[in-house]
Amino acid sequence: MELIWEGIKQAFILLFSGNREVYEIVLLTIRVSGTAVIISMVIGMSVGLAVGLNNFKGKRFVIAIINTGMGLPPVAVGLIVCVLLWRSGPLGLLGLIYTPTAMIIAQVLIASPIVAGITLAAVQQINPKLKLQALSLGASGWQVLWIIIREAKLPAFAAVMAGFGGIISEVGAVMMVGGNIKGQTRVLTTATVQMVRMGQLEIAIALVIILLILAFSVNLILTLIQQKENKTWAQRFWR
Amino acid sequence: MGTEILEIKNLEKKYPGGFGLKIDYLSVKENKILVMIGPNGSGKSTLIRLINLLEEPDSGIIIFNGSNMLGEKVDRIKIRKSMSVVFQEPLLFSTSVYNNILMGLNIRKIKVQQRKETFNFLIEKLKLDKLLGRNPKSLSGGEQQRAALARALILEPKLLLLDEPLANIDPVLREELRSDIFDILKSIGRSTIYVTHDRNEAMIIADDIAVINEGKVEQFGKKDEIFRKPTSGFVAKFVGVETLVEGIIFECRDNVCRIMIKANNKRQSTDITDNAGYRNGQNIEIFVVADAKPGEEVTLAIRPEDVTLYNVHMPHEMSSAMNSFTGVIIDIRDVGIFKKVEIDCGFKLVSFVTQNSIERLGLAEGKNITASIKASSVHLFKS
Repeated sequence: MELIWEGIKQAFILLFSGNREVYEIVLLTIRVSGTAVIISMVIGMSVGLAVGLNNFKGKRFVIAIINTGMGLPPVAVGLIVCVLLWRSGPLGLLGLIYTPTAMIIAQVLIASPIVAGITLAAVQQINPKLKLQALSLGASGWQVLWIIIREAKLPAFAAVMAGFGGIISEVGAVMMVGGNIKGQTRVLTTATVQMVRMGQLEIAIALVIILLILAFSVNLILTLIQQKENKTWAQRFWR
Repeated sequence: MGTEILEIKNLEKKYPGGFGLKIDYLSVKENKILVMIGPNGSGKSTLIRLINLLEEPDSGIIIFNGSNMLGEKVDRIKIRKSMSVVFQEPLLFSTSVYNNILMGLNIRKIKVQQRKETFNFLIEKLKLDKLLGRNPKSLSGGEQQRAALARALILEPKLLLLDEPLANIDPVLREELRSDIFDILKSIGRSTIYVTHDRNEAMIIADDIAVINEGKVEQFGKKDEIFRKPTSGFVAKFVGVETLVEGIIFECRDNVCRIMIKANNKRQSTDITDNAGYRNGQNIEIFVVADAKPGEEVTLAIRPEDVTLYNVHMPHEMSSAMNSFTGVIIDIRDVGIFKKVEIDCGFKLVSFVTQNSIERLGLAEGKNITASIKASSVHLFKS
């Protein structure tokens, strides 16, 4: 118990003492996972919408691939990216192994199928007649798409949250492709593993608490946007 | 005759599985209401989707506002923007009622200030003033459909398409909303196609009626014409004719035809002092005001409200009706506020009477009764 309290105390000391290394780790975590979640959102939502709104041959097969991707083990993703980016690998010339870019690539591969899968399920649950209604109101193809995205707003945010949750807490893939290099590719999860290995449990607990605060803050912001109710000024304006 | 805003000619659409739509001719006059009536699955909603270009026909012409809207270079979105549709389901989006009502305007990039008068009129008429900030999910079915109507009407469309807008609303609210829709349509004078399978609704709302059955127009014309002069057994039954009898025209003088119908009753009168019983195959005479030729095989359509009942002992001379039949009551049942009385008078004749008449005449199953029908109340069409 004392260990946990010590960890909590340490977390606040680390946060507010201006420890440069901790700030670097936190900022890199936000940068890597933030970039990865934005890219995943673009890729995942586009794929989810395209598959969900269109009927084509092999649609079920594509859905099965997306669903499999949702449960892809991060270690497997890490290994694949690692092999591809390895200096002697097919993309070794790019020199991306053990860089934040490699970590972003791995996280995008983990989060995109999650975002795509949830978006796809959300779009498929929308009443198909709403598309007809939007068209009958005179909407163009893009306007119909925008209306459908807005209809899927709640699950779409859930998709982003699930994607973010999946990558910010991930350790295996980023460790493999990033290498946990101090000052370069060390993020909160890999730093925590490092501290545990070194027996510095208080600092490990402190880093986990920071990770939890970070995850909670991001999800809180997304939830507030997701649950935002429509303003009722309209009635006052007109009456 | 008004100017047609929409004309459909030889329109065809076939679906896998056999169902097809084939409309030879149909039109909507400017500022008039065409009611399309027909049973479920007859093709009414399909036709609405074709008119709104939500589906492509296989062939045919739809002339809207003077030009064929099925041409290759036609801007479909522009045409859709000249129309508004309200479907059976309200199909509101997950935003406030206010935003839903403005959805079509936003798509057209029209500012709400430009439609402020229409907006206020609709909000008041459709009783939406207290619902504007609400999410549609928290509204009743009737309230949702009111919002859907406002969303369609604020666009001030050249043609309004209402596809069974009251079908999912409970009967009490349905009557109220129907009356509101009718008031609004009359006051704004909008060209409208109103789809329903409820003949009472059609009777209240329509200027013209098209009876649709199995993808075809069975009859199209003015409301009174459809109700009073059906041209087929299907239309007759659909518009409330309860008695349909086949006969042959024996002779015609001064537009009054004497028609012979064959008695086919199975029950004989219990009272041999009157002529309540007919033998099978015996000829029964009926007079009809019609422009027809002797020898033609015809079907007679008699509306139940045109059949008047008398006690058999009352002198028939008291009535001006040319047709008088005596028969046996075989069934009495409730149909809304009326009682439906089925009489076997050689053929099955149906009359609607009030509970008061049942009591006053002492009507009961097995009792003999006289039914009279004016010659001008019987409609005939070729069999």
